[in-house]
Amino acid sequence: MEKANISLYQLFVLILLFELGSAILVPLASDAKQDAWLAILFGMAGGLFLFWVHYRLFLYYPELVPPQYMQKLLGKIAGTLLAFCYIILFMYSAARVLRDFGEMLLTFAYLETPLFIVNALLMLVIIYAVSKGIEVVARTGELFFLFIYFLAITGFILILFSGLIDVNNLKPILERGILPVVRVFYTQTLYFPFGEIIVFSMIFPYIANKKKAKKVGLFAIGLSGINLAITMAINIGVLGVDLTARSQFPLLSTIQGIQVAEFLERLDVFFMISTVICIFFKVSIYFYAAVASTAVIFKIKEPSRLTYPMGMVILFMSVTIASSYAEHLKEGLEFVTRYVHPFFLILIPTLLLGIAFLKNRKKKSPQ
Amino acid sequence: MSLFSLSKKIKKLKQLKKQAQQNQQPSKAIPSSLLDQINSIKEKTGNSIDVVIRKLQLGDSKGPDTAVVFVEGISDSKAINDFLIESIMNNHPSPNSRPIYDILFEKVVALGDVKEIKDWDNLYLSLMSGESIILVDGEKRALSASTRGGEQRSIEEPGSQVTVRGPRDGFTESIRTNTALIRRRIQNPDLWLENMKIGSVTKTDVSIMYIKGIAKDEIVEEVRNRLKRIEIDSILESGYIEQLIEDQAFTTFPTLYHTERPDMVAGNLLEGRVAIIVNGTPFVLIAPAVFIQFFQSVEDYYGRADIATALRFLRILIFFISIIAPAAYIAVTTFHQEMIPTQLLVAIAAQREAVPFPALVEALIMEVAFEILREAGIRMPRAVGSAISIVGALVIGQAAVQAGIVSPAMVIIVAITAIANFATPAFAVAISARLIRFGFMFAAATFGFYGIILGVIILAVHLCSLRSFGVPYLTPIAPLIPANLGDTIVRLPMWAQKKRPRLFSNKETRVGDNQKPQPPEGRGMVNDTLEKGDQDEQ
Repeated sequence: MEKANISLYQLFVLILLFELGSAILVPLASDAKQDAWLAILFGMAGGLFLFWVHYRLFLYYPELVPPQYMQKLLGKIAGTLLAFCYIILFMYSAARVLRDFGEMLLTFAYLETPLFIVNALLMLVIIYAVSKGIEVVARTGELFFLFIYFLAITGFILILFSGLIDVNNLKPILERGILPVVRVFYTQTLYFPFGEIIVFSMIFPYIANKKKAKKVGLFAIGLSGINLAITMAINIGVLGVDLTARSQFPLLSTIQGIQVAEFLERLDVFFMISTVICIFFKVSIYFYAAVASTAVIFKIKEPSRLTYPMGMVILFMSVTIASSYAEHLKEGLEFVTRYVHPFFLILIPTLLLGIAFLKNRKKKSPQ
Repeated sequence: MSLFSLSKKIKKLKQLKKQAQQNQQPSKAIPSSLLDQINSIKEKTGNSIDVVIRKLQLGDSKGPDTAVVFVEGISDSKAINDFLIESIMNNHPSPNSRPIYDILFEKVVALGDVKEIKDWDNLYLSLMSGESIILVDGEKRALSASTRGGEQRSIEEPGSQVTVRGPRDGFTESIRTNTALIRRRIQNPDLWLENMKIGSVTKTDVSIMYIKGIAKDEIVEEVRNRLKRIEIDSILESGYIEQLIEDQAFTTFPTLYHTERPDMVAGNLLEGRVAIIVNGTPFVLIAPAVFIQFFQSVEDYYGRADIATALRFLRILIFFISIIAPAAYIAVTTFHQEMIPTQLLVAIAAQREAVPFPALVEALIMEVAFEILREAGIRMPRAVGSAISIVGALVIGQAAVQAGIVSPAMVIIVAITAIANFATPAFAVAISARLIRFGFMFAAATFGFYGIILGVIILAVHLCSLRSFGVPYLTPIAPLIPANLGDTIVRLPMWAQKKRPRLFSNKETRVGDNQKPQPPEGRGMVNDTLEKGDQDEQ
C-alpha cells in the first residue's frame, strides 16, 4: 500500500467521474425502450446496495485492501487466487473501456488512424498519471470535475434551447408493464456501470474521514445514477427510441443536433474533450486497482514500477480482445454481463460480507 | 538500488574526509606581534591595493602599536575616518593605565557593533564583508567594528513588477536595505531573521525571514535544512538557491516565487510563507509557492475586489491562450474544419491557398521568428530598439504575408499568443508557457484536438504531482480547501477573506468578525429623514 490521503470530496469526484465514464457514451439500457431512465435508476438502487456491501466489508478491515482481507477470510491460497481473478477482471475491464473509447474516436473523428495508436496515446497518459499515485489522480479529478460539469450543463441548456427534445418520445411510461424494465435492471444496469463500484474498495483505506465516506459514496452514486438517467432520457427525447437503440453513441448524435443562433453548432469536439477526460479517469481507476492489487499480492514495494508493463498488457488486450466492434459489443453483452459480472461483482462480495460477519461474530461472542 | 547504495557510500566517505580535514586544519590563531599580523594579512590578500592597513600609535610606545585594516569600497570610509582613526589619534591614555586593547574596546571605538575576534577565519570573514579590523600589538585577538557601507544602488521602482496603484519602492542589491524595507512594513518583534553564509568561495549572506507564530514551524525547519545542505562554491543570485532547494528539478514550472517588491514579500510573510533574501540581488525568494500565486498581482489587493476577480479570470484565460492558441488553430485547420463557421472557413482557406506549408510548419516559422525577435528585444542595446521594432513589424507582419510564407490568420494567432504571454503577471510562468506551447503545437499537428486534450491531461497530472516545500502545488483548488478559495481565481473583499492558507500557516483567522462596512440602515425608500452618518445638503 502506498502512503496516500484521499479527502471525501476527492472520493465523491472520483466515483462520479468513474460511474459516468463510459456509461454515458453507450446506449445504456436501451432494451427498456423509453423506460431506459427507469432501468438506470433501478440499477442505481442496486449500486447503492453494493456500495453498502463494500463499505461494510471495509469497516471490518479498515486498514486493509480487498486482496488482503480476501486472504484473511478465505485463507492464504484461496484468497490469493480470488484476488488474482479480480486483477484480471480489473485489467480486462480497463481494456474494454479503452476499446469502447478507441472505437468511438475512430468512428467519428479519426477514420484513418489505427485503433492501436489512439489507444496507445491515451494509455501512455494513464500510465503516467497512475505511476504518480492515486493522490495525484484524485487531485486531477478535482481539477477536471468542475470543467466537465460546466460542459455538461452548457450542453444541456443548448439542447433545451435548440428545441430538440420531444417529450412524446418518452411516452407512454411502462408501456409493457414493469417486467421488461426489471429484466434490463438485473441483466444490464446493475452490473454496468453500478456494479463496477467494487474498484473503490481498493481506495477506501486511504480515505481520511472514514465515517462520512458512506454518506458521500452513496450520494455520489445517487447523483451519477440521476445524471445517467437524465442523459438517457434526453437522448431518447431527442432521437426517439429506435434511433437511440440503433446508434452506437447516442449522446454524440444528440449533441450533433445542437444548433443555436446559427453559430453554436458542430460541438462534437466538446463531446470528445469531455469523453476523453471521463474515460481517462475510468481506465485510470481500473488500472490503479489492478496495479495496487498486484503490488499487494506479490509484495512489491514500488507499485509505480508495475505501471509500464501492466499498462502495455492492457493496451494490447484492448486491441486484441475482439476482432471487430460488433464482436466486442456482443462479447460484452452476452458473455461478460451474463456470466462474469454477476459472479464477481455481486455474488462474491456478498459472500465475503457474510463470511466476515460470521467470523467477526464468532470472535466477539466469547468476550 | 545498487547505484543508490553506492552513492550513499561515496557520501559517507566524503563526510569522513571532510571531518579529517577539519581536524587537521584548525583555524589558525592570531600571532601576538603587530608586524606578524600585518605581514600575514598582506600575504593572504596578495597585497591587494584595496585592502588598506593604517598603522597608528595609541599608547606610549615608540612605534605604532595599533593598526586599522579595512577594504576600501565595501566599507563606510566616513565612519572609519571619524569614529575609528580620528578617535584613536585624539585619544591619549595616561601611561601605564589599563591595556590598550581594553581601552580601545571600551572607550575609543565609537561605533555600535564591535566584536572580538580570535582566529584568522573569522577575521577574514568580517574584513571581507566590509567590517574594519583593529589589530593591537601584543594581543592574540583583534576587534572588528561594523563599518559596512560603500556605494549602493538607491531604492528605485522595481522594473519587473509594475503596478498602477501601490508602493513604489523595490529591493536593491544590499541585503540589509532589503530586510529593512520588509521590517518597515511589519513592525512586529515576531518577524524573525536568520542569517547564514552560503558558498565556499563567495561566502554570500543568505537570510530567511518569517513571522514566528504565523509561519508553520515544519516549513521554516524544512527551508532551513534545505539551505544548510547546500555545498557550492558561489551564490551570485537567488536563482542559484532556487535551483538547489526546489522540490522537483525536472519541470518547467517554478516551485518558488521570486519578487522585487517588498510589499509582496510582506503580504506573503503574513500568509505564513518564508522569504529567502540573498545578498547581491534584488530578487527575494518566497517559499512555499502555489500555482495560483503566479496569477496574482499585488495590485489585486489594493484595488476593488470585483475588478480584481475579473482580472484574475482574464489572467487564467490568458495563460490558456498563450499555451493553446496556436495548437488550436493547427487542430482546427488540419483536422476539425467542420468546427469553423462556413464563411470564416472559406476565408481562411482562401488565405491559405497561396501558402505552400502545412499549418504546423507555418505556425513554427512564425513562432520561432517571434521568439527570435523577443530575445533580440531583451538583449540588444537600447539605442537600436526602434530598428528592431521596424524590422519586426514589417518582416513578421506584412512582408511574410505578402511573400506567401504565412497566412494573415496565422499572424493574428501568433500576435495574440505573444501579447497574452506578455500579460501574464509572473515571468517565471509566462516563460514556461512559452516552452510548453511548442509541445502542444506538435500534439495538435499529429492528432488534432485529441492530442491537445491529452496534452492538457498530462499538464494537469504534472501540476497535481508537483509540491513546493511539501505543499501541493495546486492548493487550494486541488486538493480543494473551501476556506481558502477566497483568494484564488476569485478575490473576495478583505472583510470576507477570513482565513490564512491552511496548509502553511498557523493562526488561521486574519480578519475580525463583522468587518463588512455597515452604513446606516434604512436608506432608500424606507425613511424620509437622513440618519447619523449621512452627509447630504440639508
